[in-house]
Amino acid sequence: MVDNSRDVLAADLLRGHTDTIVLGVLRREDRYGFEIFKRIRDATGGRHEIKEATLYATYRRLMKDGLIEAYWGDESQGGRRKYYRITDAGRAVYRRNAAAWAATRDIIDTLLDLDDGSRSSDTTVRRSS
Amino acid sequence: MTLSDETPGGAGMHVHRLLDEAFAGVEMGPEQQDLKEEMRGNLVARVAELTAAGMGEPAAARRAVDELGDVRGILDATEPQPGPSGAAWQSRRVRPDPAFAVRTVVLSALATAGLVVLALAATLVDMPFAAQVVAVVVVAAVAGAITADALRQETTGSHPMPPARAAGYGAAMLLAVAALGAGWLYLRDAGLPWLIAGALVLVVAAALFTYLGATQTNRHKAWVVRQQQEAYGSDRFTEDPAAAARFGIYTVTVWLVAAAAFLALTLTAGWAWSWLAVVGGFVAMTVLIARMLFAPKP
Repeated sequence: MVDNSRDVLAADLLRGHTDTIVLGVLRREDRYGFEIFKRIRDATGGRHEIKEATLYATYRRLMKDGLIEAYWGDESQGGRRKYYRITDAGRAVYRRNAAAWAATRDIIDTLLDLDDGSRSSDTTVRRSS
Repeated sequence: MTLSDETPGGAGMHVHRLLDEAFAGVEMGPEQQDLKEEMRGNLVARVAELTAAGMGEPAAARRAVDELGDVRGILDATEPQPGPSGAAWQSRRVRPDPAFAVRTVVLSALATAGLVVLALAATLVDMPFAAQVVAVVVVAAVAGAITADALRQETTGSHPMPPARAAGYGAAMLLAVAALGAGWLYLRDAGLPWLIAGALVLVVAAALFTYLGATQTNRHKAWVVRQQQEAYGSDRFTEDPAAAARFGIYTVTVWLVAAAAFLALTLTAGWAWSWLAVVGGFVAMTVLIARMLFAPKP
């Protein structure tokens, strides 16, 4: 039960960063939908996967905002693949969001450690005395 | 429903059928068709992954489609939502970086000094050739630096350009200005090698500009992009191709009549009056555009 609620919280937190995560995946090379999905799934060792439905909506929103561009691949077999390419605007937004997250994470880490830090120093003091 | 393992058609057949089923009853427009095609490509890739892991093709197809969830949910989620209008422009305003402004002024002064040196050498003062070369190099370097610096700035409407790309534009600008400088030095009685070197550098600069231009992607901010899309969708000729065709026919007619009237007036009334035909044609054209492109909303 406790585990479950923790998972939900983490998923909520992650969901807020879906756009940035997708931009990050596209940073190095163009990829198509399932490739992006797979990279996210594999990178977390399967602990977290963003629903494909969410990703489809994300691609369209990012395209509407001019952060990514789409083009069709030339696969002749099976389904053609729709590739996404990050734009300069996308790179700028990615960099800004990544920096914002790093700053936020540092602050939260610091704040969460406040109590822990004093308690651990208490224990060391108690232990040493 | 169940699919037998013997269904013919090879890889992807099951996916295609299941996808058609999933989209059954959905009203298909270009947007929906696009999504369906994209899903098809992704599903085929997912099925390939599952079959590679040892799963049978029909089961893999079933599983891949099931993982997608409800197609209607995805379609609803991808429906375009009306974004906020440009009313909040003030809140999006980005003031120029003061340091950038100062840098630009200082660098411009440097470039101006370089140009003054070149101008003086060409007119009044007897300047050593080396000094002129240095002046050209300074002007080119400053032009490149200002270009790259400007592209790195965030503005109200644009994101800053990635450093490597901005540096590329800066380098291309530097080379282009240096090539012009080499040409100028050739005119100032330097040897032919200067002209050849300048031409070569100009070709490199043009190639670099071409590459950068061809690979350029959107740099505008989301609100600008949305505004452009809204503006683009609202003009009549993109919405109504027939109106655009009619406009083309009217245009040809108007100018044919104007040309005929011009000719007739020139031959009869003379030059003093014939120009009125052209003015008349222009007025008719303007009214036509106003009436057709910006048609009053019914």
